[in-house]
This record gives sequence, C-alpha cells and structure tokens, in this order.
Amino acid sequence: MHKILTSAVAAAMVISAPFAASAQDWTPPGPITMMIGFAAGGGADTQARLVASAIEDATGWTILPEQVPGNSGLNLAAALRDAPADGTAIGMVVTETLAYNAVREGNSDLQFDQFTMLATTAAFQLGLVAMAEGDFASWDDVEAAAAAGTPIRFGTATERQADMAYHMSQGSGIDFNIVQVAGGSEIMNGLRAGDLDIGWVAGAQAGPVQSGEMVNIATAIPTPLAESPDAPSITDLGSEFYLDGYFMFIAPGGLPDDARQALAQAISDALTTPETEANTLVNRAFGGPAILTGAELDGYMQSAVEAASNLMEAVN
Amino acid sequence: MQRINVDVVLGLVVLACALVAVVIWIPNDTGSGIVESVRGRYSIGDALAPTVAFAILGLAGAALLIESRRKKPTGQLSSRNLAFIGFMLLIYLAAILVMRWTGPALASIAAEGSYRELRDTLPWKYLGYVAGGTLMVSVMVSLVERQFTGKALLIGVLASLLMAMFYDLPFDDLLLPPNGDV
Amino acid sequence: MDYVLLGIQAVFNGPPMFSILGVGVPAALVMLFLGLLTGIAVGATPGLAGPMAMAVSLPILISIFGVRPEALLPVFGFLIGIMKGATVGGAVPAILFNTPGTPDAFMTTLDGYPMTRRGMPMRALKVAHISSVSGDTVSDIVLFVCAPFLAVLVERFLDLPEKTSLIILSLSFIAAVMGSSVGKGLISISLGMIAALVATGEEFHPRLTLGVDEISRGFPLVAAVLGVLILGEIFKSFEDLWRGPAVEVDTIEPEHRDKDGLMRGDIRRIAPHIARSSAIGTVIGALPGVGSTLAATLGYTFGASAHRRRKTSEQKDFGEGAPEGIAATEAANSAVSGANLIPVLSLGIPGNAAAVFLILAADSIGGFNPGPAVFNFTRPAVNPELVVAFGIFTLMAVGNFLNWTIGGVFMRSMGIMARVPIRYLLPVVLLVTMTAIYVQETSFVSLWIAFGFGILGYLFRRLDISVLPFVIAFILTGSLERTARQAFSASGGDPLFLFQSWTSITFLALAVVSVAVLGRRDGPGASKKARVEKS
Repeated sequence: MHKILTSAVAAAMVISAPFAASAQDWTPPGPITMMIGFAAGGGADTQARLVASAIEDATGWTILPEQVPGNSGLNLAAALRDAPADGTAIGMVVTETLAYNAVREGNSDLQFDQFTMLATTAAFQLGLVAMAEGDFASWDDVEAAAAAGTPIRFGTATERQADMAYHMSQGSGIDFNIVQVAGGSEIMNGLRAGDLDIGWVAGAQAGPVQSGEMVNIATAIPTPLAESPDAPSITDLGSEFYLDGYFMFIAPGGLPDDARQALAQAISDALTTPETEANTLVNRAFGGPAILTGAELDGYMQSAVEAASNLMEAVN
Repeated sequence: MQRINVDVVLGLVVLACALVAVVIWIPNDTGSGIVESVRGRYSIGDALAPTVAFAILGLAGAALLIESRRKKPTGQLSSRNLAFIGFMLLIYLAAILVMRWTGPALASIAAEGSYRELRDTLPWKYLGYVAGGTLMVSVMVSLVERQFTGKALLIGVLASLLMAMFYDLPFDDLLLPPNGDV
Repeated sequence: MDYVLLGIQAVFNGPPMFSILGVGVPAALVMLFLGLLTGIAVGATPGLAGPMAMAVSLPILISIFGVRPEALLPVFGFLIGIMKGATVGGAVPAILFNTPGTPDAFMTTLDGYPMTRRGMPMRALKVAHISSVSGDTVSDIVLFVCAPFLAVLVERFLDLPEKTSLIILSLSFIAAVMGSSVGKGLISISLGMIAALVATGEEFHPRLTLGVDEISRGFPLVAAVLGVLILGEIFKSFEDLWRGPAVEVDTIEPEHRDKDGLMRGDIRRIAPHIARSSAIGTVIGALPGVGSTLAATLGYTFGASAHRRRKTSEQKDFGEGAPEGIAATEAANSAVSGANLIPVLSLGIPGNAAAVFLILAADSIGGFNPGPAVFNFTRPAVNPELVVAFGIFTLMAVGNFLNWTIGGVFMRSMGIMARVPIRYLLPVVLLVTMTAIYVQETSFVSLWIAFGFGILGYLFRRLDISVLPFVIAFILTGSLERTARQAFSASGGDPLFLFQSWTSITFLALAVVSVAVLGRRDGPGASKKARVEKS
C-alpha cells in the first residue's frame, strides 16, 4: 500500500514536474498590461482587478490594469492582437467575445485561433428572469399572456442573447418584442421600472431572486442555478441551445508555452487560494471559480464556436 | 439689408456640412440603415441618430441665417485667431513628440534594455514627460512675456517635475506619458 | 426612510482614512473637507474655476480610491467640496480686487469693490459668506425633498417612449435658453450629438469614423469633455493674454474710514434679499442648462428694484457699495448649485458643468448610475445606489455645515490667491489637464482627441456659441439613442411609438414650443450680455 502510494506520488511528480519547472522559471520581461473589456466598476471589472492584485501579491510581478471596453469585447481583442506576445499583455473578456461575436463580425484577425487562451475564471449563471410579483412570474404565465395577445418585452444584453431570445420565440411560437439593453443590471432595472417584462441575466439576479424580488423562470445553462435549482431548462421550453459561457483571460496568439502555463497557473492560484479577495468575490457573486486551462479550454472554445455557428444558422 | 458677416458664413458652412453628411457621409459610413429588419421585427438602425443629428445641424444653420437678418453677429473669428491655433498646434505637437521619443532615444544610446522594459523604473519613466512638459510650459510663458527667461524654464521644469511626482509617487498603477504607448 | 439613516451611516461609518485618538475619521468626510478648502482656493483664483479643479482632481481621486463602490462617497465628497467651496471663494477677488474669481461673481464686484474702497472689505466678505452659504443651504434642502419625489414619479409613470420624449425636451430646452441665439444653441447641441454618435452604433462597423482606427472606440468622455470645457477655455484666455497686456490687479489701499466687520442690523437688512435670491437661484438651478450667471443677474436686478423702493436715504444704492447688492448676487448664484443636482439625480440629465463632472465620476467608478432607477425604494434587499444618493445628500449637508463654520475664516484668508499671475497659471493648467487625461486613458490618441475638442471649444468661444449644450448633448445622446431604440423595439416596431401616450405628446409639444417661443425673443444669454455691457 505504502509502495503504491509512493509510486503514485512519484508519477504525479514526474507528470507535473515539467509544468511546475517551466512555470516557475518564467517571469514576465517587464510589467504586464492587463486590458479589461468591461465597463469600470462592474462585477467583471472588479473581478479582473482583484485577480491582478492577487497575482501581484503572490508572484511579485507588476500588473497595470487598463480599461478597453466596448463592442462586446472585440475592441479589446483588436487592441490585444497588436500587443507583443511575450506575456506582457493579457486581456479579460468572456468566451462569447471570441466564440460568438468574432464569428458574427467575420474579421479573420479576431477569431479565437488568433489568440492564446489562458484560463477561464467563472461561469455564467444565466437565467431567464422576471419580477416575482408581476404577470410573468413563470413560463406558464408568459404563455398565457402571449395567448391573450399581450406584447411581451424581452430584454437582452448581447447579440447572442438576442439571437437566443428569437430562437426561443421560434421554438415556442411566442412572438417576443426583443429589446437590446446595455447589460444585466440594466435589464433588472428595466424589469423593476416596468419597461421590460422578462430578460436574460448572467448571475447578478442571484441576490434579488434569493430575497424574493425576482424569479428565474428558466435556467439557460446546463447545470442548475444555485438560487433556483427547480427552474426548468430552456431546452425544455423550445430551445436547442444553452446560453453558457465563462469569463476568460486571453493573450496574443503565439505566446510561448512556458509563459502560457505560468500565466494560467498564476490566474488559477489567484482564484483558488482561499484568502484572496478574488476568491471571496468569485464565490460570493459568480458561483465560485470555474477554471479551464490548456487543451481543455481550447476544446471548449472549439465547441463553443461550432454552437455559435449553429445558433446563427438556426435563427436566419 | 443682408450683409455678409460671420454669422451668415457660419450658417452657410454648417448647412453645407449637414447636407454633405446626410447625402454622402452617413450612408457610406454606417453599418445599417435608418430602419432595419432584424429577427423578424423592425428596429432602429445605426444611421437614424446621425441623420437626425445632422438634420438638426442643418436646421441650426438655417435658423442662424434667418437670425442674422435682424441681429448683429456677437462673435468674430479672424485669420489671426486661426494663426494662433496653428501656433498652439505646433507647440502641442512638439511637446508630444518630445514626450514620446526622449526616453526611447536616450535608452537606445545609454541603456542596455529597450525603453519598454525600463518604462517602470527611475529615472526613465520621468524623462519624456518632464522634457515635453518643460518645453510646452516654458515656451508658452515666454510667448506671453515676449522674451525667453530662465524663470520661464524654471517654472516649466518645476511644474512638470512636481506633476510627475504628484501622480507617480503615491500611485502604483498610474502611467505618465508616454509610458502607456511604448 | 431607513435609507436616510443608511446614507448617513455610509458617510460616517465608511472606510476610515486615518484615526485620531482611536476614532476613525471617515474618508468621505476628510475628502469633503479637503475638497472644500481646494474649492475656496480655486474659486478665489481668477482664471481657475470649480469645474477645472474637478476635472484635474478626478483621475487622482480615482487612482487613490480605485474603481470600487466604496470609492463613490469619498470621490463625490471631494467633488462636492470643490463645488461648494468655489461658489463661496469666487466672491473674494471680486470684493478685494474688482476681479471676479468665477464668472458668476461678476455682479459681486459692483458692490463688493466699492465697499472695499470705503474700507469695509471684511464686512463685504462676511456678507458674501453668509448670503452664499444661506442660498446654498436653501437650495440643498429643496434638492433633498424634490429629487427622490421626482424620480419616483418618473419611474412610476414614464415608460420607455415617454423617457425618450423627456430627453428630447431637455435638449430642446437647453438649446433654446443657453447662449446667444437659438441657431447657435442648436449648432452646439447637434455637434455634441454627432460627436457622441461616432463609433457607438450597434453594428460592428464603427460608424462615422471615416475608417480611422484610432477613434473606432469612440471619443473618450474625459478627453472630449475636458477638451471642450478646459482646453478651449485655456486657448482663448491664453490668446487674450498674448494679444493684449493683462489687466493689472488693482491694489489701491483703501482709506480706513469706517469700522470694518459686520455691523448691527446688517443681517436684518440683507435677510429679505437672501430669501428672494435663494428662491430665484433654486428655481433657475432646477432647470437644466440655465446657469448661475443668469441667476446672479436676475437676483441682482430684482434686488435692486426692491431696494430702491424701500431703502432709507442714508443707505447706499446698488452699485455704490450696498451690502444688499452682494447678498442678492451671492445668494442667487450659490442657490443654483444644489438645485442643479435635481435633474441629475432624478433624471440623469446634467444641468451645468459641475453636474457633468459628477456624472463623469460616477461613470468612471461605476456602481452608481444617476437617473430615476437610483430612487427605487421598493426593493426588498438594500438598494446600494439609493444609499449612495442619501450619502451624497449627507455630504452636502455636512459641506454646508463646514461652509458655515470654517468656510468664512478660510475664505477671508484667500485674498493672496488673486495675486498668482495667470500667465504662469494657464500653461501649467494645460499641462495638468493633459496629464490628467493621459493618466486615465493611457494613450496619446486621447491627447490628440482632447486637443481637437479643445480647438472646437476655442472656435465656439470665438463665435459666441455656448459650449455647455455641446457637453450636455454629448453626455445625453447615448441614452437618447438607446432609449429610443428600446422604446421602438418594445413597441414591436411601431413607427409612431413616440405619439402613443398623452404624456409623451405633451413633452414633444413642449420641446417645439420651447425652441419656437424662447428663440423669438433675445435669449437670456443675450440680454445678460447687453446688461453687462451697460453697467
């Protein structure tokens, strides 16, 4: 028994040795610019900045955060593409930026294979949200209102979400008025003000749902939502796709392997080390760390790009 | 009694710009039309808001032409003003060029690494900023005093050095010019 | 009403900056205090104004406190301090040296300087202080009561189409009342809209960029606003300075005849003027775009006619050194500042430059979006934005208290600031502004964008086009287009979506009326100019 354990440990060491050695050897040849593809002050921006400071504390590297918002992350992708591929420039976007928006925009310089995927940080907790006290508090209510001829205003924050809303409309036969707004918090404000009836929210609804103000009338990710485990899946309500995705760090294409591993390791450590602020935030507001790196991440991106193409085909 | 004055010229220029924009510029430089059919519904395209804005501009030009019939113009713009702006442009351009290139130029002569690697270390990170800032401030002060004095130079050096230290010393994350561009 | 308490708590129990005798001093209060002192000093310096100081300090504040929600109250504290301090400080050089420290203190020179020449500078300064702070306090109280009420009304009764119409009404009103003519007001508004529309479309093609990559992200708010407001002003003042000899600061020693300081009965004499002007300033301030200069002019004019009817023979006329004249002006221009935040906090519509910088701060930090959604009292969980809003109110109240107590002392020691030569000041302010923009945007492109907007601001000033409509349109156009798009989509693509409710039709009709009627007569800007020239 003892022997088996020892050899297992030895085997583990052999397997992880090259990874550990090269990751430890690599240091950035200067301060790292961290581009953030989200508006200042929001949850995603805070997450990126806390990861930056956790990495600085753990490794002693210098990280200079910089806002590059707009155009659903493609502005960041365009800026990052021109930056040196030596580990001194990284950026935080969502998987949807490269797996959907870049495909839709069609510019070959911005496709995901032009970049190096470093690590995901947290997964979308996407639900279809409505006010708990309102007329649309369940999918049955939505169907009943549609049957009665009430126009239903469906809030969406990205092109992919709008496509998914339209896809739901095709699958269920309900004719939604799809309203594009700036983000999940705007959708929740629209619901509160009565400007919208239902809408996609990617995690910020957890608090209002727990306090009983809002409900998840459906979940849009493959796993149940922590705050409403019983919500039906959108795949049971007429959709063929999920609205899943991750927050993700990327670097310019052609980043050397040792740099890629070291950066991915640093990001992963920043999120999983229990005493970091980054870890606390991700646990509190993003459903805990969800980290994909290396080949696993490349595989996820590959399949996400395919799913995006299929969705675009389905709605056109 | 219509006279050619600055308001009439302004009104005509504005009206012409608005026309050109609505007819040529907007249709060729927006991603979608005034109204688009998306996902089975009509929605407002990227061209609507610019068309409205330029229409208001055209309206403003017309209003100005009408107003200028009964009001004296209140503003004026002479070639001397334009010359002054040209002059400011030169000073600004010189200051920015000096800010951008002083550090990298000195680094290529005197240092081992590239400026990008040195941009977060003293004295490199201040070089360009202080040189460019000094140039701009002292030239502007000298212009007004109509002579170049040591005092003007001193004010330039002090002002830019103090500003550099004011932003840089207490705050790790702030980048002085040109350190975000190299 | 728990939110009132929460707001107060947020200020006083916020993260401490340092501690005295083991008691933490909240950062928000420290920053408010520092901002107030800065504001008084800046207001007292001719050539500098509150917005300039707010612009320069914003990036510094953001880097001190970061872009987290906890940063909001300290940053707002400092900005509110500047806002409050500058209105008080502006009177100092007006009274002592016949040079207004801020534009709205021009009317103060008319009576303040003659009082100084008669040997009563302290009395004049004390009258200015009392009037200014009283006006501000009245205005703030109106803000505290009205803003939440208005916001709740808006959120309850206005749907997307009505919100669209409301923004159209605000922009039309601003175009009509600001500047020398409606034509020029509309030029300013439409250019501001056009600048805001560059590269902000929904499609991936960045619209109206002429293929220039550098602006494919649009014009950064900071670069555009600081360019038009600050660089434009610097260029214009600098050219004036360059062309003509600077006006020497008048430093005639007053003949000491009268006893200086407040005299018995002064308060009673100025009280009615303070009350009248506070009311005028508050009403003017609540309308977006009508500035404090107009309030000061109106306060002074109404004050003068009332004074002429009532005064006793030994009291001075307005314009000859009457304390009532100072009171009428200072109460009016200070009463604008609080009420000016009513449209910002309740509707998200900025009414003046100071409000623009509060929006800029909120936009840079995030977590607080001024607008009707802030005043949502019905959420079961604590609404953090509402706590911030009441935190702001608390800061304003504390700011008034500080202004009452130590503001006067500090103000009276600020005479020295008027002696800083402006020819050294302008180039340094240019450098500081450039640095502030770069530090926030970290690219030379933004400096060139700022320069371009600076030239635009310069041309506006030379052609007598008001710049504030440009800035306000630049800020509002994004939400106008967004709201219109949403309203259109929500209606299912109805082309007449703006004409489906009486509220919306009324707003639109008022917009047309404001342009047509207010444009017929000479706008307030023009009449003010005429009056200033006469005096």
